[in-house]
Amino acid sequence: MSRTATTLIRLAMLIVFLGAWEVLPRAGIVNPMLLPPLSQVLAVLGDILARSDFREAMAVTAAEVVVAFVIAVPIGGALGVLLAENAYLGAIFRPMLFYVFSIPKSIFLPMFILAFGIGFGQKVAYATFSTVFIVIMSAGAAVESVKAEYILVAQSYGASRGQILRRIYVPSMMPILLEAVRISMIFNFTGVMIAEMYASRTGVGHMIANWGENFMLPQLFAGVIVLALAAMAFNELIRSLEARCSRWRS
Amino acid sequence: MNRPSPRTVRRLIGLAVLVLWEAVPRLGILPELFVPPLTKTLVVLWSDRLIYLSGLMVTLYEVAFAMLIACGAGIALGAVVGGVAVVRNLMLPVVSSLYAIPIVILYPIFTAWFGIGSESKIAFAGVYGFFPVMLSTAAGIRTIDEQYLLAARSMGATLPQLIARVIIPAAIPTVLAGLRLGGALTIIGVVVSEMLTSASGIGYLVTINRTILDSPRVFAAIIVVLLLSIMFDVAVRAIERRTLAWQNAGRRVASTEDVRAARLPAPATA
Repeated sequence: MSRTATTLIRLAMLIVFLGAWEVLPRAGIVNPMLLPPLSQVLAVLGDILARSDFREAMAVTAAEVVVAFVIAVPIGGALGVLLAENAYLGAIFRPMLFYVFSIPKSIFLPMFILAFGIGFGQKVAYATFSTVFIVIMSAGAAVESVKAEYILVAQSYGASRGQILRRIYVPSMMPILLEAVRISMIFNFTGVMIAEMYASRTGVGHMIANWGENFMLPQLFAGVIVLALAAMAFNELIRSLEARCSRWRS
Repeated sequence: MNRPSPRTVRRLIGLAVLVLWEAVPRLGILPELFVPPLTKTLVVLWSDRLIYLSGLMVTLYEVAFAMLIACGAGIALGAVVGGVAVVRNLMLPVVSSLYAIPIVILYPIFTAWFGIGSESKIAFAGVYGFFPVMLSTAAGIRTIDEQYLLAARSMGATLPQLIARVIIPAAIPTVLAGLRLGGALTIIGVVVSEMLTSASGIGYLVTINRTILDSPRVFAAIIVVLLLSIMFDVAVRAIERRTLAWQNAGRRVASTEDVRAARLPAPATA
């Protein structure tokens, strides 16, 4: 199938989805109380974007996401490289890391609340905690993806450490590092959202949880759209960078 | 110097955690409100065992139905998306984009639709597990060796024979991986949603005791959740050992990309 055909079919699916969202509640096939028509949601979306409390909440959420990310990625990256380069430490901690992935990290939220309260610091601490493990895992995978042969060849041609780092490690690891950034952001954003929905006085997560409890569905859907679009936009940005970097690799 | 084996070190770390859990609050290094001593937590867990057991039953009931959605739909659609090239090119990028959305923001919608009972947890955990299971199945299906299909077809196998004798046996490892992933994720999804808005289940016991600052009971509930994930992991390992012979059945020498995708760690974002 050609590229244009693929794009057209995807576009058609999107139009059908959005059309159904508008038509089904209007026609009364779906209860409009439960699924407000798209046009109504978009009108409400315009209203809430103009509201200063929503903008403040967005700024708080964005700040929490950025700060947690900036803390979690270097720490996780350093630990991941350490576990990948040191076989002994890797053998000790790898299985523990795998176990951590199978437990709900949110059960530790009460401890974060006791230790940090329910403000900014607690959101950042919890999101860092819920992100750092996937960063450790991905950084390890990035290191292991560097082919030993390349390093050997470079060394035997007399490349310096700096050259090996610049010419082999960075280009080889770049796509996987970007992938790590992309996946980590999904974890990070989810962590902030859960913490805000669980116990908070501000943030978009807190607002949508409130709208849900008060059955304000148009506002709720509008908030969900904003959050979903923000998450997808960041994801697509990193994916396009990834695609660009993969070209140098092959 | 001889270094102790990694397994020994892990056991020592585990032991140290348990000892510190008891010693740190007893010595007053951290207040008992933050970390109640292990023994105190276990005593509470035992004396309230009926409450925790009934909470666990609610959670398990929700996990069972959510797993049905996540694994059933995830494996079926994943097989179609992975197996049919047209669908794959069309849908895989779309699904990976949707995967970036933190699913937890949908939970308020589910509580508005289905109430705060078990239905909203089942819906949430089902959707939460669905995407990773589908992506992992789609990746796993692609590691099946097409030579087997070609050989069977050239020997005159009919479509039912092809499905029963080639495709299903070759897909078993992928299906098992999907079940493992789906199970772990739906447990997480159910516990998270119970913590957010609910009136029963083990996650609810964490939250309700947190709001009244009853730390030993919070930690007792945390222990139950940890035991639940350990037990699920042990059960899956036992099943995997029994099906070891199938684990690599029908694999072609897969590209590193496929192997990497198929071995993706359970991406439990919550």
